[in-house]
Order: sequence, then C-alpha cells, then structure tokens
Amino acid sequence: MSKFLKTIALALVAATLSGSAALANGDVDQGEKVFKKCKACHAVGEGAKNKIGPQLNDLFGRVAGSIDGFKYSKAMIAKGEEGTQWDQESLAAFLSKPKSFVKGTKMSFAGIKKQKDIDNLLAYLGTFSATGDTEPTTSETSDQTATTEPVEKAAPLKNAELPTHGTYHLGRMASEAEIAAWNHDVRPDGEGLPDGRGTVLQGEEVYVEYCASCHGDFGEGAGRWPVLAGGQGSLQNERPVKTIGSYWPYLSTVYDYVQRAMPFGQATVLSDDEVYAVTAYLLYLNDIVTDEEFELSNENFNSIEMPNAANFYADDRANEPQYNASAEPCMVDCKAGPVEITKRAQVLDVTPDQSN
Amino acid sequence: MNEKAKAKSMANAQIQLNAGRRSFLKNSVLVGGAAAIGAISATPASASGEDVILQKQDWRTDLGDGVGTRPYGTPSSHEAHVIRRNVEWLTADPVSSVSFTPLHELDGIITPNGVCFERHHGGIAEIDPAAHRLMIHGLVDTPLVFTLEDLKRFPRENRVHFLECAANSGMEWRGAQLNGVQFTHGMIHNVMYTGVKLRDVLNEAGIKPTAKWLLVEGGDASAMTRSIPMEKALDDCLIAFKMNGEALRPEQGYPMRLVVPGWEGNMWIKWLRRIEVGDMPWQQREETSKYTDLMPDGRARRFTWQMDVKSVITSPSPQAPVLHGKGRLVISGLAWSGAGKVSRVDVSIDGGRNWQPARIDGPSFTRSVHRFYLDIDWNGEPLYLQSRAIDEENNVQPTKDALRAVRGVNSIYHNNGIQTWYVAKDGVTENVEVS
Ligand code: HEC
Ligand code: HEC
Repeated sequence: MSKFLKTIALALVAATLSGSAALANGDVDQGEKVFKKCKACHAVGEGAKNKIGPQLNDLFGRVAGSIDGFKYSKAMIAKGEEGTQWDQESLAAFLSKPKSFVKGTKMSFAGIKKQKDIDNLLAYLGTFSATGDTEPTTSETSDQTATTEPVEKAAPLKNAELPTHGTYHLGRMASEAEIAAWNHDVRPDGEGLPDGRGTVLQGEEVYVEYCASCHGDFGEGAGRWPVLAGGQGSLQNERPVKTIGSYWPYLSTVYDYVQRAMPFGQATVLSDDEVYAVTAYLLYLNDIVTDEEFELSNENFNSIEMPNAANFYADDRANEPQYNASAEPCMVDCKAGPVEITKRAQVLDVTPDQSN
Repeated sequence: MNEKAKAKSMANAQIQLNAGRRSFLKNSVLVGGAAAIGAISATPASASGEDVILQKQDWRTDLGDGVGTRPYGTPSSHEAHVIRRNVEWLTADPVSSVSFTPLHELDGIITPNGVCFERHHGGIAEIDPAAHRLMIHGLVDTPLVFTLEDLKRFPRENRVHFLECAANSGMEWRGAQLNGVQFTHGMIHNVMYTGVKLRDVLNEAGIKPTAKWLLVEGGDASAMTRSIPMEKALDDCLIAFKMNGEALRPEQGYPMRLVVPGWEGNMWIKWLRRIEVGDMPWQQREETSKYTDLMPDGRARRFTWQMDVKSVITSPSPQAPVLHGKGRLVISGLAWSGAGKVSRVDVSIDGGRNWQPARIDGPSFTRSVHRFYLDIDWNGEPLYLQSRAIDEENNVQPTKDALRAVRGVNSIYHNNGIQTWYVAKDGVTENVEVS
C-alpha cells in the first residue's frame, strides 16, 4: 500500500470511530489470529499480567506508557506525557511502524504490514476494553476439530463396529488427514520434508519480518534471545558459542525446529516455502552458503553438510574413571590437611525477597 | 542454562562479591529465615512462663472456618514462603524458562504437586481434555487415536519416580554459584504417577519389526519433541494422567505426560499428543543444540539420557540455616539414581575427610528419591557438610573436581558432583567448595 493510500485508510478507520472501540470493519476472530504475533510479549484477557510488554486489557483510552509497575522506555512515557492516548488511530500508527511512531520504544517488533490485519487485531483487542464491545470472543482457532464436543466420546466410530486391533481394542483408527495435520517432523535423511523452495534473499525478508526482533539482524541475538549465527571455532574456548553454524550437526533440525516452534509466540505462521527460505538465510548468516541467489529446496536439502556434524559421539560416561573405580569408597582420613574453602557462592541474593 | 545465562551470572557475581558477603547473609537469614520459622526454641520471656501458654490464643477461643470454606485446601498462610522460585536473569523470557522446587522446606520423598519445579518452552498449555487426543502412527499396523478416557481403560500402574532436569546444578560447573539448594538442586521433583504402560499402548497399534525409535511430541506452543529408543519405551515408560492421586497439574502436562524413569526430564514430554514410530532418531533441537554435552576437546556427547547417582543435603543449607545453636542437629537430604535404588548415603561434616553412613528413612523405590538423615550433636564449630550417594549398581557419586577433570566446565548437563555446604559458627550456611 502506498503512503497515500495508507493515510486514507487510517482516516477511514478513524472516521468509523465514535466513542466505541469496536470496529465495524475488523473481524474479531481473525484479529485473535493476528494477536499471535504479540503473544510472546503481551497478555490480554482475564488475569492478564505484564510480560515482556505491558498487559493489554482496557487498552483503548489508556494513556501511552501508563500501566503501573511496568518499566516502559523513556520514549513511551514521554509519548504519554505529550498526551497520546491509545485509540484506533494511534494504535494503527504505532502497530504499523512501532519504531517510527514512538522513536526509542523498547518494543522490538517490526510492525504489521497489512491494514486488514491491523483492523482485525484492533477489533479483537477492543473486546478487552471497557469502551469497546465487551463480549469476549471464545471461538477456537486451533487445528482441533472436536473442540465443541461435550464429552470425550470423540472416537467417531461411524460404522459402530467394535474395533479388532490390539489386545484391548481401545482407541480408533487415525485418518490420513489427521496424521498429515500433525506429522510435520523432519529427519536428518530428509524424511518428512514437504515440497517447497526458497532463496537466501527471500529468506532475508522472512527473517527481517519474523525473526530479527529477537535474534538480531545478523543472528547475533538481541538482548538475551538466542544467538543463531557465528561462533565457528569457539567450541574449545573458555566461552564456547554454540550456534547453527558452529554446533548443530543436521540441517533438518533447523527446518524442523523453525516450522515447529518459531517465530516464538506465533509458531506455524510460516509457509513451507518461507521455512525453506529462512533456513537458507540462516545457512547464509553462518557462512555455510555464500551465494545470495542460493535456493534451498526439498531436492537439494540433503546435499548440505553441517560443519560440526562429525563431532558428536555416543554417551560414554560409563568409561569415565570415577565410575570405573572398583574400590570401596574411602571412609576415614580420606584427604590430607585441614579443610579450606576454595570457592564461595558467587551469587548471594538469589532468593528474592524472602518476606513476600 | 545457556552460555549467556552463565556469562550473566558471572557478571552478577562480580557485583555481588563486593556487596558485603557476611552482612548480607546475616540479614537475609534473620529477616527471612527466623520470621518464617517462628520461635526457634521455647524460652520463657519471664519467670512465670511463656505468653503463648499463659495467655489465650485466638484460635483457642474463636471458632474457625467450617468445612467447605476451602473446597481445595491450600497450605497454612505461615507457609507462604514455600514456593517455586525462578531466577529472572537465567533466561530471556519466563515463557521459556524454569522455576525451582523449594527442596530446603520439604521432607520425606514426595514433592507436593504445587511446588514441583517447572520447565516450559512455550508456556503452560491450558488444554481442554475433551479436545485432547493422543495419536500413534508411523511403523505400526494400525495408526490410532486415543482420548483420555480411552487411555484410562488400559490396566493402570502406580509408581513413584524422580524427574530431574539434565541441567540441574548446571550453573555450578565453574564453581559455587547460587546460594540455595532450591537453585543448585531444585530442578527435581518426585511424585507418584498413575498411568498406563507405554508398551501396552504401543502394542495396541502393533509395532512393525523394523521399528527402533519413537518420536514423542507435546501439544503446547513449542510442540516439544524427543526421540526415545524402543528398548526404553518397552521397558518402564508410562503415559501418566495422575500425580500424587490427582490429575496432572497443567504445568506438569495435563491431561497426559510421558514418564521416562531415571532419564533426563526433557524427555518426559508434557501435554503428550503424538507418538511416531520410526527406525532412526529424529535429531530434534532438544537432542542436538541442547542436551548434548560439550567436552573440552570441542566434541560433544549425545544421547546422555540417564541421570547419574546424586545426593544433596537439603537442611541445613543456605536457605535453611541452623538457628538453634549447638546440640542436637538433624542433617537431612535427598539421594537418587537413574540406575535404580540408592543403597547407601554417606555424610561428611569435615569436607570429605571422614564419612559416616546416613540413615535412609521412608520407602525405597527404584528411580525415586530416597530421604536420608544423620542426627548429630553439633559442637558449634564450623561444619563442611557433604553427602555421597551409592546406588545399587555400585556407582559412587563423584566429586565436582573429578567430573571437571574429565568433562571440563562447559558441558552444562549432568553435574552430579558432591555439594558442600559451609555452616559457620552462627549457623549461617553457604554454598562453597573445599580443598
Ligand atoms: C518482542 C516483544 C513484543 C512484541 C512481539 C510486541 N510487543 Fe508491544 N510492547 C512491547 C514492549 C517491551 C512494550 C513497551 C514499549 C516501551 O516502553 O517503549 C510494548 C508496548 C506496547 C503498547 C503500548 C502499551 C502501553 O501501555 O502504552 C501496545 C499498545 C503494544 N505494545 C501492542 C502490541 C501489539 C498489538 C503487538 C502485536 C502486533 C505487540 N505489541 C508486539 C513488546 C512487544
Ligand atoms: C519473540 C522472540 C523470538 C522470535 C520473533 C523468534 N524467535 Fe527463535 N527463539 C526464541 C526463543 C525464546 C528461543 C529459545 C526457545 C526455547 O529454548 O525454548 C528461540 C530459539 C530459536 C532457535 C534455536 C536456537 C538454538 O540454539 O537452539 C532457532 C533456530 C530459532 N529460534 C529460529 C528463529 C527463526 C527462524 C525465527 C523467525 C522465523 C525466530 N526464531 C523468531 C525467540 C524468538
């Protein structure tokens, strides 16, 4: 959307506002899905607490940066002091480009590109604001199909015949569609890889939108979020840096884990092609591929060798000397000399305020 | 327990060290310890006797709440300090983090459900059991789907097992670090599970002869997965739906979790929803990037599943100092081994120069914690307390230095070294290492 169009859209959005936060053109259910992007950092709904970001109940009408007990950035507090209240317009502006609407905000979130998503999201958030539509939504968005069934008679044994499998004949046959819905794991030999492809450059876009806010622009890790790149040759150092490039033995693990659990808080949003692309980009960030045009696909996936693959071996603790000693453990005069303290607890205040 | 957390902890350490060690310890003991415990000994304030006896207490004269006012009972308000605690700076986000069991406040062998340590990777999944399914597929004759009610119709078993995170004591590799047994050893709990044999459930689907491995997966936002060798799966694993008699707590995997006795906690998949049967390990993130043990030569051990023989004194310990002065002192602790039962625990009060066998009390189950006691007369001189467990396979708990000699300090996991608590003359207790 061009800047011009965006302004119009915002104006329209603002125009539909008349004291109520509920938006005519936003879909609450769709908004709940968009909110997955925020969930890692924000809670909303009954009992919502501050997480990495403040809780978002009664957001509409809230002065920016005003939740007691949450540590906002100076920038957000200043925004509130300037008189910014959260409403349809200010939220739309903030959520499309957090860093430009509040310069210096500590919310590390790239922004939502699609106006429609913002509309839906705000309709959803509006349901948790007293000024908005107060009917909270309860609709399910999961991949479960049987959520509304009252009790656990789920086994839909349509042809009422008793099953004959196994010893106890318990459970019912899983359908192919059901297995396909849940079976997404990928093995080192490539089993489980879906058809798909993506280039380093495409992966960069995915990464910037979905990953960089936590893992840093170059995989260096923002704040305390995990480091994804670098560390090659550091495994014998005093402070080894274990990353995809320096440590991970299999590329399949990257694909599998990203589609399974990332981006943190909005798992499963990426398409198969996007996962291929971002995996290619992670290879590039780790200097395992160097060509920006490189395309990773289910066809060439198995040709990628991970640099540290050979350096894993099976558990051999049983061979360690301390487990091999056959002698009875010493009971008397086991050590010479008086006992001396050689190391003391480094962190003393680990127990938070005992009185509460 | 990643590298950064460790680096951060070292940085913190520097700051803390300068902050006046003794005064800090004293204050925290006096403020926290004494207040929580109440009267240390029954000493009359006046010649005629103690007020708590001479004067009537409210609870002697006033009626209390009737039945039903506490439909699900909670501990006395005087026990409000007995809670799981976390160490904020250890992880980037509480949604993928850990809270520790308050071992110093517990006794016996059973961990109460509400204080069992937590480790989640995508927060606590709040699952509606009516919408939960367990699926088995892969190298099986009949891929199956079970409801919780289906599962409860298999023959049930009750077993007490410890669940220890492989990273328990992981912060202590470089030296004494955290001042409290809750934090050094609190990634363990021990409860009685009710569940059904994984073997029975697998047999129901019929395992193909080529099947060698399982992939087990949770239904939470991290869809946690681990590969489990078939041998173990057919041996003693359970799919549990109860802990200590009641439904699993949500934070422990409600409505069903895997129980993998004696093996690292990460494999005990919570919110279990899927079991795939295959012929090779899946090499998931939690068995490659994590839960592999980096050795000094830069290579790493993998599939280090079993938890080693280990013990720790839970009291006295830094959060449970000796407040009563000299005389009778109960030294109490826990011992466990992934190999089976604990056959003996030795305790040293002089930093490992001399040892005496402790008394194991309470039930001794395989792959469960054991409670031990040593009752002594304390002469008021400093104590350097250590405990050393020996299991039924004659594995002896090693010293931390013996472990470091082989593994260096970067392997994070499986630190079962002998812990030392230094009890000073005033009873203040500190996490130390000794010569
Ligand atoms: C990576 C973590 C993170 C993500 C993801 C995130 N936020 Fe935030 N959010 C924050 C933080 C931190 C703040 C406080 C910002 C400051 O003080 O500058 C914040 C502040 C806000 C505020 C201002 C609240 C107030 O009390 O003034 C709103 C509104 C908000 N976020 C909405 C969202 C929405 C909606 C999403 C999803 C589209 C989202 N955020 C995604 C971390 C995040
Ligand atoms: C809101 C913050 C956040 C975002 C956004 C995010 N991650 Fe993560 N990432 C995490 C956290 C937290 C972990 C560790 C989770 C755990 O240990 O349970 C992680 C772990 C990882 C790991 C494993 C690291 C290791 O060393 O084991 C990879 C790979 C990864 N993320 C890739 C991605 C990719 C690719 C994206 C974008 C598609 C992404 N992440 C987006 C927070 C985030």
